[in-house]
Amino acid sequence: MRYKEYNINKVLEKSITLFWQKGYNGCSINEIVLETGVNRFSLYHEFKNKEGILDASLDLYRDRYCDDKLSLLKAEGNLFETLKNFYMSFLEQKIYMSGCYFIHIGTELADTNEKVKNSLNEYLKEIQCLLSSLLIQNKYSFKDAEFKARHLLGLFCTSMSLGLIHTSEERNKYLTNGINLIL
Amino acid sequence: MSRGLDSTYPELIEKAQEIFWLRGYKGVSVKDLSEHLNVGETILYNKYSKDSLFLDSLDYYTNTYTGPFLNLLRETTGGLDSLRSFFYDLVDALINKTFPRSCLVVNTVVELRNENSEVIKRYKAYLKEFKESIVIVLDKAYDMEQIKHKDKIAIYAEFLMGIVFTMGIFYKLKPAEELRQYIDEQLSFIR
Repeated sequence: MRYKEYNINKVLEKSITLFWQKGYNGCSINEIVLETGVNRFSLYHEFKNKEGILDASLDLYRDRYCDDKLSLLKAEGNLFETLKNFYMSFLEQKIYMSGCYFIHIGTELADTNEKVKNSLNEYLKEIQCLLSSLLIQNKYSFKDAEFKARHLLGLFCTSMSLGLIHTSEERNKYLTNGINLIL
Repeated sequence: MSRGLDSTYPELIEKAQEIFWLRGYKGVSVKDLSEHLNVGETILYNKYSKDSLFLDSLDYYTNTYTGPFLNLLRETTGGLDSLRSFFYDLVDALINKTFPRSCLVVNTVVELRNENSEVIKRYKAYLKEFKESIVIVLDKAYDMEQIKHKDKIAIYAEFLMGIVFTMGIFYKLKPAEELRQYIDEQLSFIR
């Protein structure tokens, strides 16, 4: 029996790096072939097309990279610190992978690609729910928690874009002020 | 007839800007540019270069769209109400596709970040102008007693600038009504 000579997740990890660095449209199947060492036929067999790779890479990113970060929102203790740790966890990465893959890909493609739009939407909804329950846990009323979670999510989107170009000092100040204004 | 001699440079930039706005810097190849501008690839390589066309496109964008938009904002007299209309107009432009996509400068920040110092110079200048414009409006809002804390105006301005970045994502996912509500709520945080 023929076994798979490559590891799907490894292919996807390399694809995440490529898409993140070069943009989805700026990166060809050829480059993925070169980078992963997996031939075109196998890639198409596994993922059908380049879009299939993208979808699977978003799923992997969610499961492998975001789980720990999203779990930070379940921490007990000081609310302000919990929120700040959450935002910062996305921004303390290596320069080229700073920020959030969903926001990055969403900025590029969510206008034109329905699937990307839906994944982005699901992902942001998940974060909003976590924010909401964190606030409820911190004695905010349901209504207030929902309202503030909406804006903490907005702050998330902003810090994953505007925050990318901040120095760490500016970023710290921006997040501190933002969280305080919203709470 | 040699291709590329039938358009003036400003015409080329206007066209280049369209495609960069839609697809970003990396999503446009020299071949795409060549087809869109109807200029031979050799000429693009030898005479213009994708990088300089992109930088000039950014300038074209800020001069044509954001510059006049911000000039108008600075001249308004309604304080927070003017700021609200400014952001509402932005939502309309995005939803009605008057703007083909979210702000080119914002997208460029996400796409290119720290990769190109000329790009950095440009978006820093743009963000500075944007923030200063909001400060001018907030100063008026303070004089009109719409906001209480004069010493926090700089912080407010930076916070509200975030709306443009948030809208860059939210407009793809949410109906206009929710976007307007979001803007109202953002403004309520600074009163």
